[in-house]
Amino acid sequence: MTATLIKPTLPPSTHPFADIIHRLEAGGSMLPDTPENLKQIIGIYKAYAVPMDFYWRDLLYIGEQVFLNPLPFFKYFISKEYLQRPNDYACANCSPLILRGEAVVHPELMYFIEKGEAGRKLPKIMHHLWHGRVNMEFAEACMRSMFWHKDINPRFNDYLYTDTYKAAADKAIRAYFKRNPVMMGLYKLFPEMFLEKVRELSYYANLGLFWEVMAPVFFEMSDIYDEGGFAGVPDAMDFLVNGIFAVAGRPIYHHAYINGECFEIIPKSAGFTWLYEAALPYVEAIFYRTAPFRGTKSYNAQAKQVPAEQQNFHYGILYADLFPVGSAGIPPTLLMQDMTHFLPDYLLETYQEHGRGEDDLLNQVGVTFQRSMYNVTSAVIQALRCALLYPLDDTNPEHLKANREFFEQNLDRFTRPEARLKEIQKQKYR
Amino acid sequence: MLSLLICLPVIGSALLFALPEKYVRLGALTVSGLSLLWTAWLFTQYDMTDLGFQFTEHLTWLPALGLNYTLGLDGLGLLMVGLNAFLGWIAIYTTAADVERPKLFYALMLIVSGAVAGAFLAQNFLLFFFFYEVELVPLYLLISIWGGEKRGYAATKFLLYTALSGALILAGALGMVWLGEAANFDYETLTQIDLSVSYQVLLLVPLLFGFGIKIPLIPLHTWLPDTYVESSTPVAILLGGVLAKLGTYGLLRFGFSLLSDGWQVLAPGLAVWGSITVIYGALVAIAQQDIKRMVAYSSIGHMGFILLGAAAGNTLSLSGSIAQMASHGVILAILFALVGIIEKKVGTRELSALNGLMNPIRGLPVISALLVMGGMASAGIPGLINFAAEFIVFQGSFRQFPAQTLICVIGTGLTAVYFVILLNRTCFGRLDNERAYFPKVTIGEKMPAYVLAVVIVVLGLQPGWLLRWGEPTAVRIIIPTTKVEAATEQPAIASLSPEVLLQ
Amino acid sequence: MPNIVEIASSSDNFSTLTAAVKAANLVEALCSEGPFTVFAPIDEAFAKLPPGTVQTLVENPPQLARILKYHVVSGAHKSADLGKMETVISLESSPIPIRVEPIFEVKNATVLTADLEASNGIIHVIDTVILMG
Repeated sequence: MTATLIKPTLPPSTHPFADIIHRLEAGGSMLPDTPENLKQIIGIYKAYAVPMDFYWRDLLYIGEQVFLNPLPFFKYFISKEYLQRPNDYACANCSPLILRGEAVVHPELMYFIEKGEAGRKLPKIMHHLWHGRVNMEFAEACMRSMFWHKDINPRFNDYLYTDTYKAAADKAIRAYFKRNPVMMGLYKLFPEMFLEKVRELSYYANLGLFWEVMAPVFFEMSDIYDEGGFAGVPDAMDFLVNGIFAVAGRPIYHHAYINGECFEIIPKSAGFTWLYEAALPYVEAIFYRTAPFRGTKSYNAQAKQVPAEQQNFHYGILYADLFPVGSAGIPPTLLMQDMTHFLPDYLLETYQEHGRGEDDLLNQVGVTFQRSMYNVTSAVIQALRCALLYPLDDTNPEHLKANREFFEQNLDRFTRPEARLKEIQKQKYR
Repeated sequence: MLSLLICLPVIGSALLFALPEKYVRLGALTVSGLSLLWTAWLFTQYDMTDLGFQFTEHLTWLPALGLNYTLGLDGLGLLMVGLNAFLGWIAIYTTAADVERPKLFYALMLIVSGAVAGAFLAQNFLLFFFFYEVELVPLYLLISIWGGEKRGYAATKFLLYTALSGALILAGALGMVWLGEAANFDYETLTQIDLSVSYQVLLLVPLLFGFGIKIPLIPLHTWLPDTYVESSTPVAILLGGVLAKLGTYGLLRFGFSLLSDGWQVLAPGLAVWGSITVIYGALVAIAQQDIKRMVAYSSIGHMGFILLGAAAGNTLSLSGSIAQMASHGVILAILFALVGIIEKKVGTRELSALNGLMNPIRGLPVISALLVMGGMASAGIPGLINFAAEFIVFQGSFRQFPAQTLICVIGTGLTAVYFVILLNRTCFGRLDNERAYFPKVTIGEKMPAYVLAVVIVVLGLQPGWLLRWGEPTAVRIIIPTTKVEAATEQPAIASLSPEVLLQ
Repeated sequence: MPNIVEIASSSDNFSTLTAAVKAANLVEALCSEGPFTVFAPIDEAFAKLPPGTVQTLVENPPQLARILKYHVVSGAHKSADLGKMETVISLESSPIPIRVEPIFEVKNATVLTADLEASNGIIHVIDTVILMG
């Protein structure tokens, strides 16, 4: 080897976010490394993980059990079996033992399902109607967003139009409506409609399997923090980077259970991986793109206020204006409300000291969530850099240049005015 | 009985100085609340079938001057006294808990309230003038001590204009007594005098300009925007809600009803004056960049309707004018209260800086919603207090002055224009994240607006409860003028009953 | 002349790769006629991956097979041939960018030994596991 021992250096970046690029090049996160930020993001990961523990279970329950139920009134009333379904990634189930948490449903979630917001035992239907429940509508909104932005998941999406998939779906549909001549007749008349519904259900499974990983990862991070394990924001990010790699190769599939029989609509052997067919599309669809929410702002498509191209959409959490959170029914409100039920005490105290305290809790939670998702996005960017490019301590200046270009390309997406990267640099933004 | 309305606040204000500082606010609220209760009791005791003055009190004071302490109430007076007591309490409630020098502030507020009650109760022109002038001093202090940045300038301007207004009114009063050779200034005496039409017109001129300043009518209004804007919220509520009504009240009581023949001569011109005021107020309001100033100009515009109704001078339009006086007071009070809260929380009144206050959590959603309602009420949306009043003014005046009335109707439309601008900029749109860390509005701060909102809606749905009080006065002050109006067909008085109106 | 799998299994440097090929049931395919060009990561390349990565893949053969197929190109391409192409399409069907100047690099991996000839193709030894994307 002829490489010298002196670490080659690049001239300072001229990017508008040069500071942040230098931080990323030093192995940091887009979120500044402060104890306050660490506390906020870990606290919110925990608060996010609890409802997520419900989301993934119910998404799989809908994809696998509710399936094509024409009147799915009770799709959010998850079966006991799915509620207790052991998480494939927790504890003994996961052979690369990175997560220590319980495999079964989180106790706080169990308590909430039983007692709801009212704090007492009532029939499920009462909790449901009084919104003392987990807002599955948020999970479904995410699923639909992934479903709609099909261009970001081309391999998975193309598979949904192959003959193999159609044949498997057809078999499942016929089995499901075996004793339902009306629906069977409709299927004969409009087969494409039913196929499209099954495709959507495949995305239910996809997102469910994605979150099945994320929930225990976030629980684990909360546990490590409680034990004093993270020294700063970059540590938390590195944990995520390692987690992404560790489970990258897990399969993404869609199995439907009809009368106890398993129909492999997307078999594990199709080779879809957690990283490529779920995690990366999820980040792109949910963090960056999604779609404008109804009810918060009027968009005039003729005045080009909505991009003509789907890939230019920028309504995700990284760009979101969180101040309208609280408006009825919009996905961010649903998620923030879910998280407020499970906030750790230290985070609640922080919120009470700022803004309007309890009164603007939803907003403060939203801003914290945005911070934490900038950290997750940083982890994704670093993981991709690790997978596709070069180590940060590479000795070849050409490699470092390639790394920098990669970081700059990623941060270019935050130069548009809606992006909140600038705001989250300041602690005042709450 | 009526004297209590004057004495209670005045004595109360003196007692405030004896209270420990933390109970001053409570004390002021109690005094003002007692006045309100007393007024409410008067409402229950008022005999609707009696068209004359009720609860009269008479004390000979200075016979040489013709000054008697004569108090009495008719429907118009009762409504105004009610408005004064109600808005007086609201204004005191709206006062910030941490107001500086609270004893002096509340005492002055109570004195204003008492003096204004006196003016509305006085059935002696000179006594009216006395109260009219007395109220000036505490108001001057209220503006110049607790006002905004340019308070000194605004207070002086207010004092000069109103003093001039007082002088003109005094001139009118003296002229009336001298020319009519009346024994004293009592209203009853003055109704008996017989003046030629030309004298009446001559006497109306100083009265019109005097009260015109107070109302104000353009171009006598220039003191108003500065004064309203520089005043603190409670003072602005008193000024716009109650004090302005002294002008229209005086014009009706001492101009219209005493000099009805002269009034008939001037009426077409007055209607034009009213309609120009309406349009001018609305157009200038549209151009404003400061929401408090916008509300101030909106106030000018709406006073024009009252003049229009008074100019038309039939029972219907007069009842409408009287109702409009009350509804204008209530609406202006809620608007000033809300604008005051916005200014306090957001820190600005600039239209260009305000946005997205409707935001459910970080904004001021309740205040915004009430502001929307206030704007709608002001624009005369059916179901809210102003609609019935304006509608009746228009219905009554259209017979006499169709052109002027139509111009005023356009003015109502323009009201909607500037309130849409106001609401669109302040309440809707995206909340500016840089500055959107407003403190929350406490329930106590919202309370006055809630109370006013309830009044606006209830009287909007049941306008009869508002209109019935002005009706006897309208009928009674018309009677001497029937001879002049014989040619014009009067709308049947029966049509004034609320049931018919609502159909 | 030994085939690709035989060359790999006979070397000490490719024990992880050999095990992975077995786990993914690709031995048979790689022993076939071909010809193939294989970018073969050394053991250290796998060791560089964060902990658990390889283990998860080994437990999921179809997914592992996909990653491994990304290291295989159909046709026997020597470095001189590859220098003329900017990218080649892998058996996984994703493209692999290639540079030969100033040093021979396959995506973010550096070629340690180029042009090992086997009976059914060519092997280029690389120092990093390459991944799609």
